[in-house]
Amino acid sequence: MPSTTAIKVEHISKSYGSFRAVDDLTFEVYSGEIFAMLGPNGAGKSTTIRMILDILKPDTGTIEILGGRINDATKNRIGYLPEERGLYRSVPVADVMTYLGTLKGLSRVEARKRSLAYLERFDLAAYAKKKVSELSKGMQQKVQLAVTLLHDPDLIIIDEPFSGLDPVNTLLIEEVIKEFRAKGGAIVMSTHQMYQVEYLADRLVMINKGAQALYGRVGEVRARFALPAVIVEGEGDFASIPGVERIETEDGGHGMLLYLQKGVEPDHVLAQMAQRPDIALSRFQLAVPRLTDIFIEVVEQGRNGA
Amino acid sequence: MNKAWLIAREEFINNVKKPSFLFTAFGIPVVIVVIMFVIVALLVETEENTERIGAVAYVDQSGVLADPVEVPENFSAYPSEEAAHEALEQNTVGAYFVVPEDYIESGQVHAVSRTNLPEVMQDVFDAFLIANLGRTLDPETVERLIEPVNSQILTLDTGRVISSSAFFVVLFMPFIFVFVFMMGSQTTSTYLMSSVVEEKSNRLMEILITSVTPFQLLLGKIIGLGVLGLLQLSVWLIAGVLLLTFGQSLEFLQGVSIPTDMIITGLIFFTLNYFLYSSLMAGIGAVTGTETESRQYASILSLVTAVPFFLTISFFTDPDGPVVTFLTLFPFTSPISVIMKMAWGSMSIEHIILSAVILLVTTIVLIWVSARIFRWALLLYGKRPSLRQIFTALRRAPTMATTAPTSAADNNGGR
Repeated sequence: MPSTTAIKVEHISKSYGSFRAVDDLTFEVYSGEIFAMLGPNGAGKSTTIRMILDILKPDTGTIEILGGRINDATKNRIGYLPEERGLYRSVPVADVMTYLGTLKGLSRVEARKRSLAYLERFDLAAYAKKKVSELSKGMQQKVQLAVTLLHDPDLIIIDEPFSGLDPVNTLLIEEVIKEFRAKGGAIVMSTHQMYQVEYLADRLVMINKGAQALYGRVGEVRARFALPAVIVEGEGDFASIPGVERIETEDGGHGMLLYLQKGVEPDHVLAQMAQRPDIALSRFQLAVPRLTDIFIEVVEQGRNGA
Repeated sequence: MNKAWLIAREEFINNVKKPSFLFTAFGIPVVIVVIMFVIVALLVETEENTERIGAVAYVDQSGVLADPVEVPENFSAYPSEEAAHEALEQNTVGAYFVVPEDYIESGQVHAVSRTNLPEVMQDVFDAFLIANLGRTLDPETVERLIEPVNSQILTLDTGRVISSSAFFVVLFMPFIFVFVFMMGSQTTSTYLMSSVVEEKSNRLMEILITSVTPFQLLLGKIIGLGVLGLLQLSVWLIAGVLLLTFGQSLEFLQGVSIPTDMIITGLIFFTLNYFLYSSLMAGIGAVTGTETESRQYASILSLVTAVPFFLTISFFTDPDGPVVTFLTLFPFTSPISVIMKMAWGSMSIEHIILSAVILLVTTIVLIWVSARIFRWALLLYGKRPSLRQIFTALRRAPTMATTAPTSAADNNGGR
């Protein structure tokens, strides 16, 4: 388990009039991990992020950031990429970056140096003196991510960091985020790209109607929703394997879904198959649902329960 | 370093480069100075250049100039009007004066010239006539006859001395003053509003607000743009001083200097007025969130400020009456009213101080109110706060963002 806690949210609630936007939410984010924040639109993710950043105050509950309550010093250790974002349009790119860097406590010289270095890395060096309005949306997005990282924070909160990026730039940003994690930084990432959460994030919280719906390591959460089944591909009579209850074809795939009898371990089934010369196995995997399916299931449940 | 200074610096640098600012600060004074010089040059050319006319003839039919003394240079007597006209036709003279037989009774003199006769030339002939009419009198009496009133108007209450020729300028002085100062505070507070609107609409506000406190942001903007306004004011004042220095050849500007007491009072009132305006503009910008809408509210505010102009007549007819007293004390109209009253009449120092104190207190209260509305309205998108919500926000500050670390404990599930 990672050692230090970057964010500790305990029992926070926030209401707008009679509408309860966040309802008794609790979770922690550790240093050196990518923490995904999931939830349908309007679930309370933005409100939660704003409370973490001290833009809004929770009605009840406490939030600790980087070891204490947020203050001017901790603000300088946080980077924030809001979901809807913009920059001063008529100011040169490097100047905007330098200015926002100095507001995070960097000296002017240092902020400029780092801005130019990031522009270089993000393949935008030629645009340093161009006005922001001359940049494409994807370029502006990269500039904004650079601003988020410029002051070398300990914690970044990034809201939909990949929206509007092409595959090449998506890869670049992923790399940058992973690098930040490798250095021990904490990343809170709000996103709707489930496949990215599956391979990027370490842990997640899913918020539905302001309350915690799922929370834990990504693998654990998925395993919790695993069917009592395995997916196989290959030749042979899979129905004859002991422990297999019934067979269905895989949804949207080429394999077969083998439902197992109660108490039968997938490992056991695999061992049986390996011993059988009449079965040629080319794929064997646990029937762990994709996060998207889990997401939809949780939201549907919430709707039915209401 | 306090982050408010960083914001002030950025606001100043970004706005000082704007073409609209450069034009207002430097373009307008340059245009005015150039126009003044052109007018001066033209007036000098037409009214004071007697050489253009050359020799002048005069025909005396009355006998006043029969044995003339003090004949002006280039003037010569002609026996008859026909001879003088002949000379004019042949270009020997540029103009001729005819003093008719009944001059003593009628006082009529005809002047004929090929081109427009300069005023100075007429003055010269007047003096020539007077000198000859009064040759039996002693020279001092003649002097008094030429200029019976050496007018100097002393405004009793202020001790300000105004020559009668400068009266026109005195009448318009407050307008010029107010124009200069108001342009300074209005343009910059409008910039402030635009910058709040821009940051709110491009969502940069969220990043700024997680780097600095809303109060630092507001303060930085007010300081940065205030310095910008002072720069504009300085440029204009320097232009004004230059204008008066070089404009002395214009009769109506002679002896006019910008009164120091008005400058100082003006500076105090308009600095306060700037803070009042800019904090209100920031609040308006934060609440409305669009350029067009906030401009509408800003123009209502400007209209209120300009009310004293519509009531100008009261400053002359009833300078100590309730209307003027109210205008000079009411914080939104006092900057202009005080200047108008000072220029046209008088104001006791106590009255000025009372007015300034009222303005100062209102300004402090409004900055406080705006700072609260500001930090709360900045992050509301899509929905506009109602007046009721704004008042609620003012009363219930703790639900909004602060960075005060001390409030950590009492925030803990208290209600």
